[in-house]
Amino acid sequence: MATPTESLPPPGWDREGLDSLLDAFHEGRLSEIVGPRSSGGGSLLLALLARATSRGGLVALVDGADAFDPETAARAGLDLRALLWVRCGGRLQPAWRAADLLARCPGFAAVALDVGGAEGSAPPSFGVRLQRAAAGNTAVVVVRAPRHMTGSAAALVVSVRRVRACWAGAHRRIRLRGLVSEARVLRSRSDPRQAAPGRAWLIEWRT
Amino acid sequence: MTRIACLFVPDADERVKPALLEIALRHSPSVEDGGPDIVYLDLGGLERLWGGEREIAERLRRAARERGAAARIGIAGSRAGARFAARAGSDITIVPPGRDARWLGPAPLALLGLSPEMSARLGRWGIHTLGELADLPARGLAERLGGEGSRLQRLACGEDATPLRLWTPSPVFEESADCPWGVETLEPLGDLLADLADMLCVRLRRYELSADAFEWTCRLADRTVHEGDCAPAAPLADSAAAAELLRVSLAARPPRAAVETVTLRARPVRAESVQPRFDEPPRPNPRLLTATLARLSALVGAGGVGSPVILDTHRPDAHRMTPFLLPSPRPSPQRGGGARNPSKEIFTPLPHRGRGQGEGAVLAVRRIRPPRSVEVTVDAGAPAHLRAAGLAGRIIAGAGPWRVSGEWWTEAPFVQDEWDVELHDGTLCRLARDGRGWRLEAIYD
Repeated sequence: MATPTESLPPPGWDREGLDSLLDAFHEGRLSEIVGPRSSGGGSLLLALLARATSRGGLVALVDGADAFDPETAARAGLDLRALLWVRCGGRLQPAWRAADLLARCPGFAAVALDVGGAEGSAPPSFGVRLQRAAAGNTAVVVVRAPRHMTGSAAALVVSVRRVRACWAGAHRRIRLRGLVSEARVLRSRSDPRQAAPGRAWLIEWRT
Repeated sequence: MTRIACLFVPDADERVKPALLEIALRHSPSVEDGGPDIVYLDLGGLERLWGGEREIAERLRRAARERGAAARIGIAGSRAGARFAARAGSDITIVPPGRDARWLGPAPLALLGLSPEMSARLGRWGIHTLGELADLPARGLAERLGGEGSRLQRLACGEDATPLRLWTPSPVFEESADCPWGVETLEPLGDLLADLADMLCVRLRRYELSADAFEWTCRLADRTVHEGDCAPAAPLADSAAAAELLRVSLAARPPRAAVETVTLRARPVRAESVQPRFDEPPRPNPRLLTATLARLSALVGAGGVGSPVILDTHRPDAHRMTPFLLPSPRPSPQRGGGARNPSKEIFTPLPHRGRGQGEGAVLAVRRIRPPRSVEVTVDAGAPAHLRAAGLAGRIIAGAGPWRVSGEWWTEAPFVQDEWDVELHDGTLCRLARDGRGWRLEAIYD
């Protein structure tokens, strides 16, 4: 669950905190979620897509690493019938083009590109192309990558880092209970009341 | 004056009916399918084409005999009169114009197909022929039998004012083109398919239909046949979208040799036309989405584009891809009809969660496909160190093992022990071990 780190709210505000973070991802803008593996970035992307489908929208996910797990997504509330899943089998070149194609197809509530753990770099001007495609669209266009890839084109850049893993069991660890991560806004060109640069959320993701 | 012919084949089976309809349609444009053994034709204006009524009747009878059916032909001024003439008369029975009631008089009452009660009632009155029924006072008959009595009396007189319910053969949406010089490159072949798609879409729109699939068959110069198909995300009758879809699909599966004949078929469906509601989120334009999906399929392969369906099994990562279909504007229990029918699957898919019923902030799992073999050092029965391509380090925390097994009753059972481990750099992984060794199944993210 998410809580702004500036002032920890009482119990019950957690979900609202996550929603306020998700509200920072605007339609018609390119956003980016940056963070290493096991930082919670994938979970944040999943929450974004799940919220879009819970509002009746269709979403598209370009899965660069072919790593999307439908079972976890369904548990997170993602309506799989409303998901267009493009599996690129670990090849990044088709992933760039697929994201560009989908960002130019109006009608999706969200278009996401998950680069995975790939170390390759984006083609030159990829970020600008994607931002221009997003500008003529009503979709939230978001890139999830281990490091910043879209240059100055992204209107919102959220950096995600792992805080701690949560294990169940007092003396002996019984199972993985979840992960606490911090999401911090690195850059925001939207309403500063929603996501001013430097604002951060603590989010507890549960298995 | 209306003249109707009736083709009647006693004890006809289902195979005779299409032949009768085809014969009738070859002689007259106005044909009615009258039941399992009867077909009606309107003979108006056919004299100049086929000659007199006798000639037409003989032609019909001869054509039926050539198709293996012993048809009896009746011609009269109404449908009922023609039917009674065909059933009660000889091989060819022609009732002279304007004399239907008089000619039909001696015919038995059974021709009317009365219910047992009505037949018994008229029998008690001493009525056994159509003529006797026709001679009864109309008012008295109506007082005793109501509207049904009046209707039967009109039929007994050969009066049947109901127009023919015209039968038309089901349209076949198929177009072909010959190119004896042989088309060797994709661009002109795409143009050719686009022209055929345009003709099909014009015909589809004329019938207020759309196509939910296209199939093409190419006869190649090397005497082989190249076949392919493609399906849009939503039924369409738009020429440009169909052409784009066909071009991309053809480019993904090009023919091996020059094409000499190409045939394109469309599978027609009646697409619902429902106005979207204001409170619904926008939907992609079917035409644009179809073109986008076609390009995506060409980019990553047709199997890499779609919607996932979770299978009802405990086997890890069990899912299958289904075509991505645009949802209907109104909620319906089965979106997309038969395209998602999982009846041929070994496992039935789990019912999808309803929208907004998830658990909120769920830790995502990144699957490693296929699971990667890793080297694991075990200390005191628990994983202590992990080494794999791009991932190595000391394990600082972990939980497990959890036994996952199932389908022991099939030829492909599965059993493995799973651990959740945390590496020193913070990476959270799921490891699995079975008889073949350790594997990296997923990374939490």
